[in-house]
Amino acid sequence: MSSPWSNNSRKLSQPVLQFVRGKRTKAKGALSPAVQRVITQLSVMSAGRKQPKMLKLSREDLIKHQTIQNCWSMYQRELREKRNEQLRLQYKSTEKAMTLLEQLDPELFEAANASEAGKRFPLELKVPTEFPPDQVWYYNYKPKEEQ
Amino acid sequence: MRLEEAEVFVNGLLQQHKGGSMTFQQVALRGMATASKPRAIKAGLILSRIPIVTQEATTLEKQYYEYQSELERRLMWTFPQYFYFRKGTLSEKRFLAAQRGPVSRQPGVWFPKGVPDVRHNRERRTKQEVTLPKSSESESLSGANNEDDVSRPVVPNSRITDADRENDTTSLERQLSSTLYLIVKNAAGKWAFPSFSVPLDSEAKKPLHITAEAGLRELGGPNINTWTVSNTPAGVLGDAQATEFMIKSHIVSGRFVLQPQKQYDAFAWLTKSEIQQRVEEAYFKELSCILADN
Amino acid sequence: MRFIRGFSTTRSTCKSACSLVKPVHHLVKIDKSKLSPRFEELKYAKNDIRSPGFKPVATHQDRVVDHYHNTLQPDLLLINYSHKAQVERGAKKREWDNSSPYHLNRQLRKPKGSAAQLPDIHPIKWHNIPSLESVVINCYAKESKENQLLPITAALQLQQITGCKPQPVYARTDVPSWKVRRGTRMGAKVELKGRPMSQFLSTLTEIVLPRIREYKGISNRSGNRFGGLSFGLTSEDVRFFPEIESNQDLWPKTFGLHVNINTTAQNDVQARTLVSGFAFPFHGPERTK
Repeated sequence: MSSPWSNNSRKLSQPVLQFVRGKRTKAKGALSPAVQRVITQLSVMSAGRKQPKMLKLSREDLIKHQTIQNCWSMYQRELREKRNEQLRLQYKSTEKAMTLLEQLDPELFEAANASEAGKRFPLELKVPTEFPPDQVWYYNYKPKEEQ
Repeated sequence: MRLEEAEVFVNGLLQQHKGGSMTFQQVALRGMATASKPRAIKAGLILSRIPIVTQEATTLEKQYYEYQSELERRLMWTFPQYFYFRKGTLSEKRFLAAQRGPVSRQPGVWFPKGVPDVRHNRERRTKQEVTLPKSSESESLSGANNEDDVSRPVVPNSRITDADRENDTTSLERQLSSTLYLIVKNAAGKWAFPSFSVPLDSEAKKPLHITAEAGLRELGGPNINTWTVSNTPAGVLGDAQATEFMIKSHIVSGRFVLQPQKQYDAFAWLTKSEIQQRVEEAYFKELSCILADN
Repeated sequence: MRFIRGFSTTRSTCKSACSLVKPVHHLVKIDKSKLSPRFEELKYAKNDIRSPGFKPVATHQDRVVDHYHNTLQPDLLLINYSHKAQVERGAKKREWDNSSPYHLNRQLRKPKGSAAQLPDIHPIKWHNIPSLESVVINCYAKESKENQLLPITAALQLQQITGCKPQPVYARTDVPSWKVRRGTRMGAKVELKGRPMSQFLSTLTEIVLPRIREYKGISNRSGNRFGGLSFGLTSEDVRFFPEIESNQDLWPKTFGLHVNINTTAQNDVQARTLVSGFAFPFHGPERTK
């Protein structure tokens, strides 16, 4: 390292390094920018210094919270039971229809009982969104002419 | 297949000898000792439009979600602004200008709301409120640019459409958050799901779902795009003599236009509760489990 | 009380024949960490508000799950209905036929036609309709073997995409030809359940997959035979996630990943029909076995 105070012999053709006292542009023991970037990335994923204070609930608040949670669990259980009951009734209804169809018409029954492996829901049956699209419904459907 | 051939033959015989008594062999082949009337099989169609918009939340759900969201915001980690807005950049300056900074702890100062605990520019005792800076450039521009400007404010479309306001029951844009079902009114004034008879002679006989689909095209015009859920019927009405097997299907696009024919004279797209009001009680009771509540 | 003097007091004579203490501590699973009076907060369940690990779960309506309950579930019940279907036994371990005396107490034979036992296929009724269980995203960056900074970036990418904390992934075996050493950190994985899973699937189907050029869909051959489907996203496809697209300068390097969708379906066919209901396109000839 050349400095004005070192005894290195300098050739005049070489560029002279002039040191001016000023701010440190490069911090001591600095990491390369790539490493610094990865350190920020790591810190985004870690909890250090980012966690807020823990919730300290009083007795009454805790009871209120637990009541709310119990209420929600009960409500969800009721919904689940209603759904399962509805599905069970649907299954029984299909079963009744198929037993009757089997007795009445074996051909139609075979067609109704045929395996539907490879069935795909159409892409147009989208998952409902919170707000409707600009074009709510596509009316101008024309069936493909099958030659 | 022999039994089936025999059955077809017997059916043919019975149709020829209407009202005649069945021989013992015929009864044995048939397998059931019923009267020799010709039976009618019909394919009923439950055509539904699935919801386009999320279902309406009940008051309990809204309040619970609000409560849980507040808890989540209170317990959420501090926003890592040093990652999204690099130190010294203009965007960081703008971001910091848009925020209300927390009150830092000062020695010798009395804080009426408690001593602040600040880490990474966030008060740890409360939820963090991050306000994004408004991009001022887009606001100054007006007129033509506003349509395509990506940073224009998001204005969601209304969940209640014109069809809702006018209560147009023939429209598919009504009640976007519920499932709509197609029901038709016959000449006698009875509302029911459309049904189509299945021809029983072996040439014209098609599976139930094909009959239902073809019948729908005849009834409502060719410009309907539907997807049959399954070849399996969802339910059955009637008994062994006059049976109607219900086939489920969804309308994907297009319009149902009631064609001029003798059977039906009106149609409507209704939700399950509306159907209950219009349709006969016993009929609804049979099919209510198949219809979706929402 | 009369005291009988025993002349020998060796331990063997004093010891009774059996222990009078019931060995409950060997039979009952005791969590010793719960016995100490320290760390009261950590003894609570994670969904108890007094625990430091409490995180609210149901913060908003889950539209994917609602769509499943309203539309897909009844439809799947009909599609998978099979009249008078019986349980199909999967390949199970077989008994020896005792033709040799050495068959006694021998461990069971391997199943016929399969290395492992296969689960039974139950007919689909109202209680076992296929549904989504979890989505596991796996990001393996093979350049990590030289650059140990990359797995951290890969993990952050997963965190940004999903909103959940990822776990590191390490090389399981040594592969000298690829210069992979066992135990090096190679990437990250994250398991999504519930609302984060629904949100991820929605962004995939509504934002990311439509942007992929010439996207044909999930292969009809994909499937782990027991209700799991997988597909991949390249490092360019991952750039379409809104979290990465809006901060392009923070992401000079993105990583491709595998998405594994686990369902409660019992076979490939049911799984594909279920996943297609969430607006995933499929392509190619179907593989039934």
